[in-house]
Amino acid sequence: MRFVHVVAFSAAMAAASSMLMPYGTQAADAPAFTIKAEGGHFSPSQLEVAANRPFKVLVISAEKTPIEFESFELRRERVVKPGETITVNMPALSPGTYKFFDDFHRDTPEGAIVVK
Amino acid sequence: MAIVAIQFIPVQRSNPPIPGDLVAPAPVKNTLRAACYDCHSNRTRWPWYGALAPASWLVVHEVSEGRRRLNFSDWISYTADPATASHKLEEIAEFVSSGKMAPWYYTILHPEARLSPAQRRMIASWARREAGRIAN
Ligand code: HEC
Repeated sequence: MRFVHVVAFSAAMAAASSMLMPYGTQAADAPAFTIKAEGGHFSPSQLEVAANRPFKVLVISAEKTPIEFESFELRRERVVKPGETITVNMPALSPGTYKFFDDFHRDTPEGAIVVK
Repeated sequence: MAIVAIQFIPVQRSNPPIPGDLVAPAPVKNTLRAACYDCHSNRTRWPWYGALAPASWLVVHEVSEGRRRLNFSDWISYTADPATASHKLEEIAEFVSSGKMAPWYYTILHPEARLSPAQRRMIASWARREAGRIAN
């Protein structure tokens, strides 16, 4: 990077505080559902949730190594360490089936969130 | 003959709508646009060589795999789960610092995606800073 670029970049970074992307929190009353990862399986492997309403998914891992709870359709990717519980915010969704999987263990059967 | 025949197998080369693009300082955004957006956004500049099979299958595969793993055009979806967004940012820092992204075979035909060490540092430090901001 040439010097002018460094200067331009620093200026842009300084100005960046005025153009920060907002990162969301979620309504405290959003319903929560639990999925447990254990013995190479998600249980339940299918979760039924209501359409058009944000919700949370608590992912508990009883595995001995980290897992990665991931969904392409839902654009979620979270590492869960052994014994940890994480909370994943989900948006209001239209009816349909949204798959999730463990990206660290591709032989773990996929699960799905079924929105009705 | 075979090469002619495979041209008739249809492939999906489309640019879907943009739900909510990443917001970033101009030098970062311009670099990502030049080096990453063909595969990681809904603003793909479909290349000429991608119109010909079998290259077209490869390009379409790269773009659909790239888009589902990381899509800057739908950054807004990651932001609703801040830990996912910061995870993506950490991965961006890692893949750009290590030189894994943009893929070397892409940079052969797209010299604008050949990032200098300084550009890599710029992207990585922006991504780490942004990840830290979200985490707090
Ligand atoms: C030629 C298409 C192409 C270009 C250009 C490209 N990528 Fe990728 N990228 C992919 C593909 C395909 C994958 C998934 C396979 C893999 O991980 O290698 C991927 C994976 C990634 C991942 C991992 C995402 C995840 O969650 O697994 C990151 C981060 C990433 N790319 C960042 C970038 C950045 C930053 C740039 C620009 C500097 C870039 N890529 C340019 C095709 C591309």
